[in-house]
Amino acid sequence: MVSAKLHKAKDPQEESAAELAREIKPGETILDLVHVCRDFDKVRVIKDVSLQIRKNEFFTLVGPSGSGKTTILKMLAGMDQPTSGDIVLGGKSISTVPPDKRPTCMVFQFLALFPHMSVGENIEFPMKVKGIPGDKRCERAYELMQLVSLPESYYKKNVMKCSGGERQRVAIARALAYDPEILLFDEPLSAIDAKLRKTLQKELKELHARSGKTFIYITHSLEEAMYMSDRVGVLCNGVLKQVGTPSEIYNHPVSRFVASFIGDTNIFEVHMSSSGRWEASDFPGMDIKLEPRGDRLEGYLVVRPENLRVIDDGAVPADNVIDCKVRNAYSMGSRIQYQLISGKKEIMLELTPRHDHGIKPGDNVRLGWNAQDAIFVDE
Amino acid sequence: MQSNLNGTLAVKKAGAFSLWLRDVLLTQGGRCAIPVYVLLILGFVAPLIMVLAFAFATPRTFTAFTSFTFENFIHIFDGSTSVLMSYVWALTFAALATAILTVICYPVAVGMVRIFGKRCSIIISILFVFPLFVSENVRLYGWILFFMKNGILDGTLKMLGGAGPDILYTPGMILFGICYTYLPYMLFPIVSGVALVPQDLITAARDLGASRFRTWREIELPLAMPGVLIGMLITFVLAAGAISESKILGGQSVVVITNDIDIALTYSQNWPQGSAMAVVLMIVIAALTMYAFKKIDLEKILGR
Amino acid sequence: MEYTKQGKHTAEFIWIWTIIVLGFIYLPVVCDGISSLSKGRYFSFPIKRWALDWWVKTASSMEIGEIVRNSLLIAFAVTILSTVIGFCGALAFARFNWKGRKLFQKLILLPVFFPQPVLGLALLLLFNTFGITLSWHTAVFAHLIWITPVVTLVIAIQVYGFDPTLEVAAKDLGASRFRIFREITLPLLWPGIWSGMLFAFLLSWGNFSLSLYTTGVDNTVPKWLYTKMIAGYTPMVPTLGTMSTLVAAAVMILGGLCVWAVRRKQGRN
Repeated sequence: MVSAKLHKAKDPQEESAAELAREIKPGETILDLVHVCRDFDKVRVIKDVSLQIRKNEFFTLVGPSGSGKTTILKMLAGMDQPTSGDIVLGGKSISTVPPDKRPTCMVFQFLALFPHMSVGENIEFPMKVKGIPGDKRCERAYELMQLVSLPESYYKKNVMKCSGGERQRVAIARALAYDPEILLFDEPLSAIDAKLRKTLQKELKELHARSGKTFIYITHSLEEAMYMSDRVGVLCNGVLKQVGTPSEIYNHPVSRFVASFIGDTNIFEVHMSSSGRWEASDFPGMDIKLEPRGDRLEGYLVVRPENLRVIDDGAVPADNVIDCKVRNAYSMGSRIQYQLISGKKEIMLELTPRHDHGIKPGDNVRLGWNAQDAIFVDE
Repeated sequence: MQSNLNGTLAVKKAGAFSLWLRDVLLTQGGRCAIPVYVLLILGFVAPLIMVLAFAFATPRTFTAFTSFTFENFIHIFDGSTSVLMSYVWALTFAALATAILTVICYPVAVGMVRIFGKRCSIIISILFVFPLFVSENVRLYGWILFFMKNGILDGTLKMLGGAGPDILYTPGMILFGICYTYLPYMLFPIVSGVALVPQDLITAARDLGASRFRTWREIELPLAMPGVLIGMLITFVLAAGAISESKILGGQSVVVITNDIDIALTYSQNWPQGSAMAVVLMIVIAALTMYAFKKIDLEKILGR
Repeated sequence: MEYTKQGKHTAEFIWIWTIIVLGFIYLPVVCDGISSLSKGRYFSFPIKRWALDWWVKTASSMEIGEIVRNSLLIAFAVTILSTVIGFCGALAFARFNWKGRKLFQKLILLPVFFPQPVLGLALLLLFNTFGITLSWHTAVFAHLIWITPVVTLVIAIQVYGFDPTLEVAAKDLGASRFRIFREITLPLLWPGIWSGMLFAFLLSWGNFSLSLYTTGVDNTVPKWLYTKMIAGYTPMVPTLGTMSTLVAAAVMILGGLCVWAVRRKQGRN
C-alpha cells in the first residue's frame, strides 16, 4: 500500500517547483512578485506589488490591518491567485500552482493544529501524506522536535494540552516536516501575551538561522518586524511603500506613513518661504535648519522623540529650538515619554529617567534638535 | 392588466427558482443539501401536495387531480358536523398547553443555564431528553395506571382513608397529557434562549440598581425571547396536531381535529374530507410558523 | 455564581421546582414499572403479590419477539440512512457558506415543526394513492422524514465547532481531498455523528405517531402496545413498555459513553 503510493506518478509541475527552489543559491531571488494585483468584487486590494524575496532571508511584510498583507501571503501559499501580475519561482510562474504542490508551507495565525492528533502525529502528518514510512517519519519528527526545542516526552502529548508557546513550536515543526523551501507565517504571535512573544520572536530568529529556510512573515507590528527580520516591506492600503533592512526603514523612511508606523513621532510640515528659508507651518516665523534638500520646495520633517533634547542654561545649543509647555509624562520603565505643547502643535519627547532634567507637567521647557537628526520626507 | 401583472410575477418566481436551483447544483454546500432536499420533496412535499389535491376532490372518491370542488371545505364550516368544535378543542388545548408549559419550563431553563453548574445541567438535560426516546403512549399509559380506579394514586389514598379523584377520560386530562408529552420541546428552546443572555448583563443591571424583577423583565426576558418564541411555536404546533393524548387519556370525552382526520382517512375512507380537514389545520400551522420565522434568526441560536 | 448569591431563595426555589418537574416526567414511567411487577392479571394498588411472571411471559412471547425485531430493523435502517443524509445536510447547514443556506436552514426544520400524526396520515394517503403496500419499508421512509432533520441539526452543532482552516492547513501540507476528509474532517466530526446516530436510533425506536399509520402489517413495539392499550388491560403492556424504556436507557447510556470517550480522546472537554 505504501509503495503503491510512493510510485504514484508525480505531477511534473510539483516536481519542478520544489526542484527549482532547491537549486537556487542562498541570497539569490527565490520568489519574484511581478506587478501583482488582486481585486475583490472589483475593488483593488493589492495594487501593483513588485517584490523580490531572496533565498534564506527572513523577510517580513508589515502593515496595518486591512493593508493586504494576508492576501499577499495567501497568494504566495497558493490559497489565492493574483488578478493580474505574476508570482515567479526560479524563473517559472507558480501563480496557479495549488498549495499542496508548492515548496511553501504556512504557519497559520491560530496555528491550525489538528486537535485529534498528538504532537508527534501532527508533525508526522505531512510526511505521512508524502508516503514516508513510519520509522523514518518518527525519527524525523524527533529531530524536528529537537530543532524547535520541544522535549522528546511531548511526542505522545495531546496538542490541545500544550501551552501557547509549545503549540507554536509544534506548528513550526509540522511546517518544517513538509520540507518546504519557504515558510510563511501569518501573524502567529499576535494571540500570545507580550512577555512570551518576545521570547518566541528570539527563538524564531534563531530557528531561522538553524533551519536554513526562507522565512516570510507578516505582522502588524513594525517593532516585531524589525526585531526579527533581515529585510522588511511596509505595506499600506495594498501598496508596497518601502522595502529595506530594519535600519533603513527606521533611519530613512520614505514617507510619513512609514516613519510614524513604528510609533509616536513628531512630524512637521515644512516649506520653502519666498526668502529661500525653510519654514514650518506649525511655527510661523521661525527658521528651520535642515540638511540640503536639493530642489525640493516642500515636504515633511520627521523628528523622533528620542532625538529631541532639552536645552537648559549652559547646554550645547541646537540648530532648531522651540519653546513648549509640558502636558503629561508617561513612564515606560527604561524611558519616560512626555507630551508637550508648542503653540497648537503637540510634541512628543522621550528621555531616560536619569537625564530627565526634572521636568514635570506644567513646566515650560525649551527643546531642540540638530539638522542631521531630522528626517526629510516628501509625502 | 391583472393577468399581465400575474405574468410578470410568474416570470419572477420562475427566475428565483432557477437561481435557487443553480445554487443548489453548483455550490459545494448546495450539493451537500441535495440528499436532504430529495428526501423532503418525496416524503414531505409530495404527501402534502397529495393532501392538497384530495382536499379539492369529489367526496368519497379515491383519485385526486380529476375533479375540483369546494364541497369538502364547505362541509367543514357548514355546521352539520362537530368538526369545527374539534378545531376549537385542538387549538384551545394547544394554546393552554403552550401557556402552561412556558411558565413551567422558564424557571427550569434559568436553573440549567445559571444555577445548577455545568455537570448537573448536563445530567438534568439528559434526564429531560430521555423521555423523548420512550414512545408517548407508554408514558401516557403510566398516567392511566396512576389515576385509574385502584391505581397508584387511588390505592395510596384509600390506604390513608380517602379516595382518588375521578379525572381520567376528561378534557382536563387531555390537556394534562399534552403538557406532559411536549414539555421537553418547550424546555430546550428556552434553555438556548436564556443561554443567549450574558451573565455580565444581569450582574451589570443589578449593579446599576435594578431590582431582580426589573432585571428579569427588562434585560433577561427580551434577550431570551427568541428561544422562548421558538419553544412556544414548536409546542403549539405539535400540540395542535397531537392525537395520542386524546386517544389514550381522553377516552371519547372530546374529539380533537387530528382524531377526525384519522377517522376520515382510515375508518370512513373519505379521503377528500380528511384531506380538507388536514389542509385547514395546516393553514393555521403554516401561518403561525411563517409569522414566527420572520421574527427569529436561527443561526443566532444554533451557531454561537 | 453571582446570581446564586443575590437570589439564594430563587436558587432554592428553582432547584425544588426542577426536581418536581423531573418527578412529574418520570412518575408514569415508574408506574409502568411497578405494575409490570404485579403477579395478578388485573392491576390494583397496593400490589398484593409481586412477581416477575409477566416479564418472563413477555420475553418468551413469539409475537413480541417478532415486533421487537421489526422495531430494531426499522431503527437500524433509519439510523444508517438518516446519519448519511444528515451528515451531508449538516455540512450544507453549517460548514459551507452558500447562497441558499439560509433557506435550507429553514426548510429543513419544517418536518420537525410539523405534527407527526398529520404527517403520518399524509404519508398514508400518498402510499395508498400510489398503491404502495405498507410494511416496515414504508415505516423507515416515514421515520426518515422527521428524524433526518433532527440528525442534521445534531451533527450541525458539531460542524459549527469545526475550524475550516484545519482543512486549508492539511491541503497546504500536501494532503489530497480524500485524505483531508478521512483524516481531518471525519475524525473531528465523529462525536457529532455518533450523537446523531444515537438520536436517530432512539427516536425511531420510540416513535409511535408515524409508525401508527405507516407500518401496515409489520407491527412495531409502540404500535402493538397501543392496540393492546385500547383493547383492555393486559399486564404485558406495562411490562413491554418498561422493557422498551430500559432498552432505550441502555442504548442512550452506552452510546453517550462512546461519544464522551471520543470527545475525551480528542481532548476537547
